[in-house]
Amino acid sequence: MDLLSSMRISATGLSAQSTRLETIASNLANAESIGYKRKDPVMVPSTDREAFGEILKDKLDEHAQGVLVSEIHEDESPPQLKYDPSNPHARPDGYVEMPNVNPVIETANMVAAQRAYEANITAINAAKAMAMKALDIGK
Amino acid sequence: MSIKVFDQTYEALAKALELRTENQTVIASNIANADTPGFQAQELDFEKAMSKALGSGRDVENVEGDIHTQVNNVVREDGNTVDRDAEMVSLAQNQLLYDAAADLVKKKLALLKYSINDGGSH
Repeated sequence: MDLLSSMRISATGLSAQSTRLETIASNLANAESIGYKRKDPVMVPSTDREAFGEILKDKLDEHAQGVLVSEIHEDESPPQLKYDPSNPHARPDGYVEMPNVNPVIETANMVAAQRAYEANITAINAAKAMAMKALDIGK
Repeated sequence: MSIKVFDQTYEALAKALELRTENQTVIASNIANADTPGFQAQELDFEKAMSKALGSGRDVENVEGDIHTQVNNVVREDGNTVDRDAEMVSLAQNQLLYDAAADLVKKKLALLKYSINDGGSH
């Protein structure tokens, strides 16, 4: 049990939030791509013993967990229909199935992911400052 | 009267540093899982146990923190109960108190050094 395991936990948070940002970037990039479905990361608490080794105590193991993106989920909500009969992908009734991506929601999620990333950075910096303070005792 | 070079205050401060480190891990875990559906925010309680042990003159070495799920938190739509702002405040508070304990250890050691050197500079 040390400050390094705290930093490791925050690092899992950083990588999960980066993955989330990547899916948001993909959604925004493909907002007009016909046939694309909105992607969403699924986050689960990580109890992976391999990742944390024996560093965390058993007691802490179940309570202090990292986070892991277990899968990228495809949003199955219906596509947005756009009337455009001249489009080669148009259905017989003249509608084109556009992706179920709403740029406004994606942008809001992007800001949330950014803030969450920063919160993890703050936690890492706090752990780092505490470790430095402990080293300072001996001086 | 016996004079101990390292008194009980050192033990108490060492224990405080240890428990604050543990608390930092619990808070980091809550922050990392602030977007995990169904995650229940945890907290480490030790201040009461610590002051009780110190008040009764018992050994602080055996004081243990109690990790449990935070109660009375707002449950979000996805079942997550992490209050991000409260966690950031706990993080800052925990860090400050850790720094304070580390500073006290340092000051006590400096005082010891001062008397070892017979009050002169080292």
